Amino acid sequence: MKKLARITARPINHSEILRAVKDDAAGGTVLFLGTIRDRNEGKAVESLEYEVYKEMAEKRMAELETMVMKKWPIKKIAMVHRYGRLSIGEVSVAVAVSSEHRAEAFEAGKFAIDTIKRTLPLWKKEKLKSGKEAWTKGVPIRR
Amino acid sequence: MIVKVLYFAAAEELASRKSEQMEVAEGDSVGQLAMRILRAHPALVPISGSVRFTVNLTVASEDTKLGDGDEVGVLPPVAGG
Repeated sequence: MKKLARITARPINHSEILRAVKDDAAGGTVLFLGTIRDRNEGKAVESLEYEVYKEMAEKRMAELETMVMKKWPIKKIAMVHRYGRLSIGEVSVAVAVSSEHRAEAFEAGKFAIDTIKRTLPLWKKEKLKSGKEAWTKGVPIRR
Repeated sequence: MIVKVLYFAAAEELASRKSEQMEVAEGDSVGQLAMRILRAHPALVPISGSVRFTVNLTVASEDTKLGDGDEVGVLPPVAGG
């Protein structure tokens, strides 16, 4: 099976991600998809443009996968983040976790998506329906 | 010694460049380079409090020492997801 790209400009295919975490010993699989909302802070959104420090994001994602595998007794984890211009409803990020029992899959998946938001070098510029453009407020990157 | 500085997102717009080479002295720290970057690009000053620096893909602290050929990232607050 070909390796899943962690950072990609192409649309995210969630069945590929589910396939990557398939495991005969798994009794449950959790899939999280982050999608582009049509409104943010009360304003109508047209599209989002994601920028990424690709090499660093790939390295940090690989480290995060290793950390999650150590912290929870899960079978497999896969995550993908997209960059470039995304329209309303498109998937910007996907996390899938398979495990023997569901509790650890939910916990590990939540930890992974929360950590992605704070520790990956990604930025998004919001293009509003009004024509205005602005970088969305973020958080200083964590170690 | 020469380091390569990469600017991202709002930092790229404010510094009006994606990257540049900068001269640093032996033993210089990230904090010293940061001062030089702000002097060269004063437009970055308003966001300097929330900017973080990376050295060779790792988040650095002010006293991280620089070496020849290092890649330094200038990262505004991140917003993935």
